[in-house]
Order: sequence, then C-alpha cells, then structure tokens
Amino acid sequence: MTRIGVYVCHCGLNIAGTVDVEKVTEYAKSLPNVAIAKHYKYMCSDPGQRMIQDDIKAHKLDRVVIATCSPRMHEETFRKAVAEAGLNPYLVEIVNLREHVSWPHAHEPEKATEKAKALVRMGVARVKLLEPLRRRKVSVSKDVLIVGGGIAGIQASLDLANAGFKVFLVEKSPSIGGRMAQLDKTFPTLDCSACILTPKMVDVVKHPNVTLLTNSEVIDVKGFVGNYEVSVLKRPRYVVEDKCVGCELCTKVCPVKVPDKFNEKLGQTRAISIYSSHAVPKVAIVDPDHCLRLKLKDAKKEVCGKCLQACEARAIDFEQQPETVQLKVGAIVLAVGSEVFDALEMPEYGYGRFPNVISNIEFERISDASGPTGGKIVSPRTDKQPKNIAFVQCVGSRDKRFHEYCCRVGCMVSLKQAILAREKMGEDVNIYICYNDLRSFGKGYEEFYRRARDLDVNFVAGIPSDVRMAADGSLYFDVFERGTNKLLEMHADMVVLANGLVPSADIARINELFHASRSSDGFLLEAHPKLRPLECSTAGIFLAGACQGPKDIPDTVAQASGAAAKAVDMLSSGEIELEPLKAVVDEDLCSGCRVCESICPFLAIEMKQEGEKLRAEVIEAVCQGCGLCGAACPTHAIKIQQYGSNQVLAQVDAALAEAQVKGGSRS
Amino acid sequence: MSLVDSMSMAKPNLESRKKILAKLRGRELINCFQCMKCTSGCTALKLLELKPHEIEKLVNLGLVDELASSDIIWTCATCLKCVERCPQKASPYHVIIALRNLAVEREAKVPEELMKGISRILEIGLAWSFQDVVTRKMETFDRESLRLPKIDSPKESFQAAFMKALEER
Amino acid sequence: MSVREVLPRLSVELVDLREALCCGDPVRSVNDFAASYLGARVLALANLTGLKNLLVPCNRCHFVISEAKALIEKGEKAQTKIVGLLKEEGLEYNPDVKVWHVIDFLHDLVGLKSVEKAVVKSLKGLKLATHYGCQILRYTDLGRVDDAENPRKLDELINAVGAETVDYAEKLDCCGSHLTYGHVDSALSLAGQKLRAVQALGVDGLVVSCPDCGMMFDAKQKDAATTVGAKLNLPVLYYTQLLGLALDIPQDMLGLQLNHSPVEQLLSKVSA
Repeated sequence: MTRIGVYVCHCGLNIAGTVDVEKVTEYAKSLPNVAIAKHYKYMCSDPGQRMIQDDIKAHKLDRVVIATCSPRMHEETFRKAVAEAGLNPYLVEIVNLREHVSWPHAHEPEKATEKAKALVRMGVARVKLLEPLRRRKVSVSKDVLIVGGGIAGIQASLDLANAGFKVFLVEKSPSIGGRMAQLDKTFPTLDCSACILTPKMVDVVKHPNVTLLTNSEVIDVKGFVGNYEVSVLKRPRYVVEDKCVGCELCTKVCPVKVPDKFNEKLGQTRAISIYSSHAVPKVAIVDPDHCLRLKLKDAKKEVCGKCLQACEARAIDFEQQPETVQLKVGAIVLAVGSEVFDALEMPEYGYGRFPNVISNIEFERISDASGPTGGKIVSPRTDKQPKNIAFVQCVGSRDKRFHEYCCRVGCMVSLKQAILAREKMGEDVNIYICYNDLRSFGKGYEEFYRRARDLDVNFVAGIPSDVRMAADGSLYFDVFERGTNKLLEMHADMVVLANGLVPSADIARINELFHASRSSDGFLLEAHPKLRPLECSTAGIFLAGACQGPKDIPDTVAQASGAAAKAVDMLSSGEIELEPLKAVVDEDLCSGCRVCESICPFLAIEMKQEGEKLRAEVIEAVCQGCGLCGAACPTHAIKIQQYGSNQVLAQVDAALAEAQVKGGSRS
Repeated sequence: MSLVDSMSMAKPNLESRKKILAKLRGRELINCFQCMKCTSGCTALKLLELKPHEIEKLVNLGLVDELASSDIIWTCATCLKCVERCPQKASPYHVIIALRNLAVEREAKVPEELMKGISRILEIGLAWSFQDVVTRKMETFDRESLRLPKIDSPKESFQAAFMKALEER
Repeated sequence: MSVREVLPRLSVELVDLREALCCGDPVRSVNDFAASYLGARVLALANLTGLKNLLVPCNRCHFVISEAKALIEKGEKAQTKIVGLLKEEGLEYNPDVKVWHVIDFLHDLVGLKSVEKAVVKSLKGLKLATHYGCQILRYTDLGRVDDAENPRKLDELINAVGAETVDYAEKLDCCGSHLTYGHVDSALSLAGQKLRAVQALGVDGLVVSCPDCGMMFDAKQKDAATTVGAKLNLPVLYYTQLLGLALDIPQDMLGLQLNHSPVEQLLSKVSA
C-alpha cells in the first residue's frame, strides 16, 4: 500500500500570500494514499527538509509530494534530502504552487487555492506511478576545449592548465589576445593593456598543458558531456610555425598592400605579415585573398614569391593544406567574445561618410603607441590633430531600433579615452562627452569619472539627433543640454562614437554547433542569470567573457576563472552522474520504424540490428529527455522515464476528477 | 501619483494621461528616458521653442491640462524626426497630436484655419476651396482651363459619416 | 499635371477618383480618428475602381493613408468603427489596395530601366539637389517610401534622366509647410534656410516630391527670401516635371507655367 507524504510550502508569503496553504493541506489529507500532509514556511530550509526526512522514517513513507516553487529551483535539493532518508530520490514529485499558481493568479486568491488543490491532486495521482531510478556513472575525459583566445579564454586556459588539466585553446584569428590586445590602456587603472596581457599570453603558449591552435575553428561537435568529440579546422598560414622566427623580412619585401584588420583597417599591412605587434604566436601568415601567388595558383607561371626569397628560415610553404584535428574533451568553455557595433547602421551620425567621425575602437588604435599613428591623437583618416573632440554615447545601445541593452562599458571607455586625450594633448584640446546616463558602477569607476571631470572633460547631458559635416570636413551638431536647458550648437574636429558591444558574428554558428542557447539580446544564455551564470543549460558547456553578455575586463577574468573552476568541479573525479530522466525503449513494442531516430534533435537514438529486427536504442548520455520521440512513436514503445502515458494520463484524470463531482467530500 | 507643480500648483490628471496613453497605438510614452535626442533634432525648437522631451515628461507625470490649453503644442512641424530617432519608440509627435485633439475637445486654443478646414471638408469634401492660379507671368488659370477633371461634391452619407467620425473621442 | 502627362508614357494608366476626397491630413490635429477614417476612405474609394494600386503624389497624403492602413490592419478597436462608417457610404475597405507614392512607384514598380529607356532628351549637364520631404521617409516602422537616413530613390530617378545630384548636410531637413497654419513666419524661415543652403551648392535647381514642400520652396520662395534676408533665385520643380522635360513633353503641359520659382534658368540649360 503506497504511503504518500504531502508537504505544502508557504515560501514565505510568495505562495501563502495568495494560496490558502492550510486549506490545501487539509484537502491533501483527504486524497487517497496520503498518509500525512503538512505545511511549513520554507520547505527548502534545514528544518523543512528534516521534517520530511523524519516523516519518511517515522511514517514509513514511500512517496513524497512537495507543493512549492518551481522544480528548477529546488528539485535537486529535495531529491538529495529524501535520498539521505533512504528513499529513492526519483520518488519525489514537485508541484509548482508559485510560478504556476500564486504568482500568475495573485489577484484571485480563492480560484488560486482551488487550482492549488487540483495541482496537488494531480501530483498525488502521478507520484503513485513513479518508479525508482538510479543515476548511471560515466567516465569522462579530463581534457578541456576552450573556444576563443581572448582574455577570457586565456585566463580559463591558465587556470585549468595550472590545475593539471590538458587544455586545447582554439582561436580563429592568427594570434590570441582578442579585443584586449587592441586596447591602449584599460580602465580604471589606466594600466597598459598589452603590458598586463602579454605575460599571460606568453604563459599560455609556453604552458606544457596547453595546446594552442590559432587560425583555427571548431567545425563539428559530437558526443556528450564528459565525452565530446570535436573537430577543429586548422586553416593554413602558408608558414611553418616551428620554423618562422618572426623577423618580418617577408613583410618588408611583399608588394601587396592589405587593409590592416588588427588596426581596424586604419592602416595597411602586407599580404604576408605578423598579425599584430604583440602577436602570440609570433609567426607570419599569408592572406590567401590578397597574396598574388595564392590567388593565381592555377596560372602557368608562378608569380611573385619575393617572400620565399627573403625568408632565411625557409619557413614559407605555399603548398600548406588545411588540417582537421580531432579532439576528445570532457568539457568545453565558450569564450568567443563580442564585436563592436557597426555605426554604418546609424547613418545619421555620419560614420562612413564623414572622415572625421570615428568609432571608439578606432580611437583605441590611434591612441596605442603601436598603432597606425604611433600613439598620436589625430583623426586617422585625415591625419589632422583635433582641437575639439566630441564623444557621443550609446550608439547602437539602449536603442529599440538596434540593441535594447546597455553595453555596460561604453561610458567607461569614453571616460578613459577622454582622459587619455587630455593627458596626451594637454590643454590644446577641448573634450566633450554627450551622454544620456553616465554609468560608472564598478570598483574605482566613480572615482575615474571624477578624475575625468578634474581633468576638465566637459559633460553635455543630452544626445544629438544627428551629426553634420561642414565644407572643411569639421563636424557640427545641435544638442539640447539638460542642465542648462539650452540648445547648444557644437563644433568638433573629431567625433568619437561610443559604439556598443554586440554578439559576435559567429554567434549563430556557435549556437548551433554547441547547442548553446541564446538570450533575446543575442548573447549566449546562461543556465540561470543569478545562480548559474557560468554555464549553459547544455551540460558540460561553460561560458566565459563577453560572449555571455557585454562586460569589462575585471568581470571577464572573474567569469573565466569561475568557468574554469566549474569545469574542474565537473571533471576532477574522472566520472559524472547522468540524470536518468531519459528516453527508454520497450524492445517488445518497437517496430523499428525509425521515426524516433529521425525526429531526435540530439541524434541520441541509434538503430541496432537484432537478428531480423531493427530496434531503437537510446544513447543515454546524449539524450536530453525532451520527449519528442515519445510523442512521435506510433507503438508507444519509447517513453521518457516518469513521463509515460500512464503517468501523464493519471494526472489528466486527476485534473478532471473534481469536474464530475459536485459537492463531493471536500474540506 | 502625489506631486504638485510648485509653480502653477497643477496636479496630475491621471484620467487624461490614461486616455492619451490609450491613443498612442504602441508608441511608448512611459519608456521615455529623457535622452534629449528628439529635442536636439526638433525642427521647431530654434524658432518656436518646442521641446518634445519636455512634453513627453509632462504628460508622463500627468501634467496634461496646462499643455492642452497651451500654445506650444501647436508649434510642432510634424517632421517626424523625433519618431524616427527615438531609441525608446516614445514618439513625441503622436503625443502632441493626442494633446491637440484634447485641446479641440476642450475648445481650448485651436488655430482658426484648422477649424475652417473642417467646415470646408464637410461642404466640398476638400480642406481648401478651388482657387484660381496666378502664374509668375501674371496669367490666371482655373481647373477647367488646365483641363483637370471635375470633382464631384460629397454625398450626404459622407457628411453624416464624417460628422460621426468627428464625434469619436 | 506633370504626373498625368508623364505616367501614361511609361505605360501606366491613371484612373481618377472622381469623388471629393480629403486624405485627412488637416483633420489630424483636430481628431486623429476622423483623419484615419478619411485616409481609409480614400483607399475604399480606390477599391471601388477594382484596381489594386493607389498612386498618391503628395507626401502628407501618403503618410495619413499609410497610418490609416496600419491602424486598420493591426486589428484595433478603431478598425470596426471605421469599417462601419465606410459602410454607411456604401464603401468597403480592401487590404489588397496598396498605397504608392510617385517616387517609389516609379523607382520600384515601373523601374529605373524603363524610365531610362523612355528618355528622349537626356538632361546631362544638369546638377540638381533633392528634397524628399519628411513624411515619405519617416517613420521607418510604418514602412515608408525610402530609407529614412540615406534615401536614394529620387536621386536615382534623377540620375536616370541623365542629371547629376548632390548631397548636402540639410538634405533631410523639413520645409516647414505644416507651420503655415499658425506660424507663417517660422514656416517661411525654415523654407528660406533650406533654400539658402541649397542655393549655396551652386546647383541648377531643387527637385521636390511633394506639392506642400513645392508650395514652400516654389510659390513662397520670395516670401521665404524676405523672411531670412537672402537673395533666392532657385528653380524648383516637382520630379515628374523634370522627367517630363526628359521625355520632351511641352512645358505648358507639364504645368511649368504655374511654377513661381525662376524655372527659366533651368529650362534654358535644358534646351541648350
């Protein structure tokens, strides 16, 4: 005879404020097979859990129903609690009285209470039919793949490598360092970005536990948590990494000029060059779209080849082929970063049309001593030194037409750039920042804002509608200023647009390859915004850095180390437990029709030949328990554990039961 | 809301605010965060001192009555720049139109020409009566001499329907 | 007049709506709903002809009618009321009727190639500035005739007849016509400022796409000049007048005798 314990949680006032928990408890007592029903303020608390555990022993309960908040919150907590009391953790049913009752029906307490009763009735009917399940253990690979070689990927790599894990760091550009390598100084300390970054870059490339794959991209991901099989495409550099000494003689002789990507196309490099001044690895790379030799590969005569002659190390190899590398890893950290909003999407500010309107990332490059102007603050496309610089904030951000979110760093970046301009040019320049709200929220950030004001940076509280260009190329615009209540006509020699951060161009591909969901803003979605910010809901995939949402360097590094710790946590024992709520096949009923195999979005079903018959078999570790197969199977041969027809239909019958009874036995 | 305009002692009129919000067809007055973009680009600011952000804020706080009987709401040039560029889709233009409608309802300051136009529409179906044209060479033409097609007068059923439409609040 | 002369030569048959019909624009400030009703009414009258394309040569009419269409097709409460009012006149609203402005009609439906082919007298050598006006460009959410920040269609239509166009900072600025209702001086000031800026470009003329803008820049050019204290001598044409010249249609049939601005300056360059 089943003995069910029903526990109704007040959840403080979250449930009890709307639902009459006492009435629901009384009602539960009247349900068949319910041996005991109680209510308590916080079931998830220590005394709450102990209450359940004591009752399991004292009243010999073999099923438990807990009517509380969403199972996403505490299902795991309660499973652990009953397991400690000796009951199989999968004989617990969570009934959601918060997200499904008290919150949506806050204005109708009587109806809410009736609904709560009905849900408890359904839970009781279902819990009877639950079967005990066991978690299976699978061994895992202790290697980790890190996708993206910016500061997030670098930090995570170092943490994991130092903890003794083997790391594969895949970076799509020819050098690691990412966005941080492009920065001149970093806020709020004005540390030289390269100075704090390059030591870490060198540590990574030297670390015995790190295998660095630059100019490479992940092209396929198979397998499941703890046992991923990843294919990485190494695109050819046409330079042999081990031989190149980084002397740059090849670059000096190359006749083909190419826009310099690292310098945001403000300068030019050559078809064979080293990616950036602090590139790691310091190895040249040939641009196949511009190199004459490679473009005219099919020509009868071989063209150019000046670099071949110049290279003393004989490192250049035009025959180099792309290579696919297969990796077996236990966990994946996604650190693919973000991009800067392209202000061509906002033509009213003149970017692209007016040479003296530049983006914040372009400013970063001209401020950097290793950039195209040698660190001199000049308008990069006209080489003129500005006497008046105006910053326009929130370009592409906080804007329903483009990106609704606040980019989090735009204000601090402009403050930094204004301070740098002041420090480099002294009193020879007037600096204005046109802003909506000035957000300087972090440690030392408000003080940094103060520093800017102390340095005579002017703050104009208002955003211009458009920017216009005068005949001499200088810029002018009107802006209504909140403080003075005046329409100010502003003139600037250079306008810097504080473009926001947007999801990487590859984000859709990352989304597909790794089954990493995206939030509505386009960035990768964390498993829970407050409690689980470092991982995806897909098991084994962790998130680090701006790919999860725009953020500054301190937050990026913190998140990267956190993600690394999570990966260590998961892999250190060498095995993981798999949730048993997966699909399971009743072989006698399976007709081998293959519908389930074709419908499974995770490719978790295989067909196995058994004599004459073909039968479906579930790869338990890959199965996510989504239920599509169970719904599609024409013979009801495949079902999700605990979500079989009998269990679900029992709930349906229970839901409709009261509708047939009029004035039945109710408290 | 409990506030008072300490200059005029005006209190918020929440009923009127609600009505205006309902008329806005999805334009989000309540989301205006005072970025100043609309006013910075406003066609009527320099000459007529129209500040769309101010109108947004006043209506959002419910201080509608003074606006409805003001001159300022009649200065908008309807250039729609504020609608196009507002990052929060708050559209001051639509708010100003709603305020103008309110002014007409309350028979506050309404430009005469506008009301004359309404009567003409009832009479002849057009806002302006047929006119002769005098060219730069001092010649006079009318519709017939320019061989433009005749336009029929409006039916009674149109006049009745239009009157009904004007009653709509 | 120029629309009537030019379009048939591009194989477009124009059918007049015979009933008196205000689009509703002047009513907007009085009663927004009534204005939408009038806009919808124009579409319903067009529906009577059985044709699916309504051609509107005026920016403001195009805007009111477009907003009315959006209002009805969003399925709001106003929809039932407007449909009811239309029924009282025996009219029916048909969502299949599309509203076009002359600019996108010629650019998208007739096509630049057809316009180019029809040109008899290339206007090469003419340098012109364009004024799109406000209400066919804004607001983007409604679905307008051209891009709000970087409109090209009128420029391309002018290029198609051989003339050159120039960009200028004030290109998207408003002519001020709506302010003539109560603030005439301000309206003239806005028009005058824009005319002065265009004239300084050294162009042969200004091409507009809206009769209201045309009124400000052409008919009221002298008054605008006085208001801003400038000497203005700028030929102002509606686009199809220019196109008509390229199709070698006689000036008087294009209504050029009715323009108040000194169009002779431009015409002499064309015949030369």
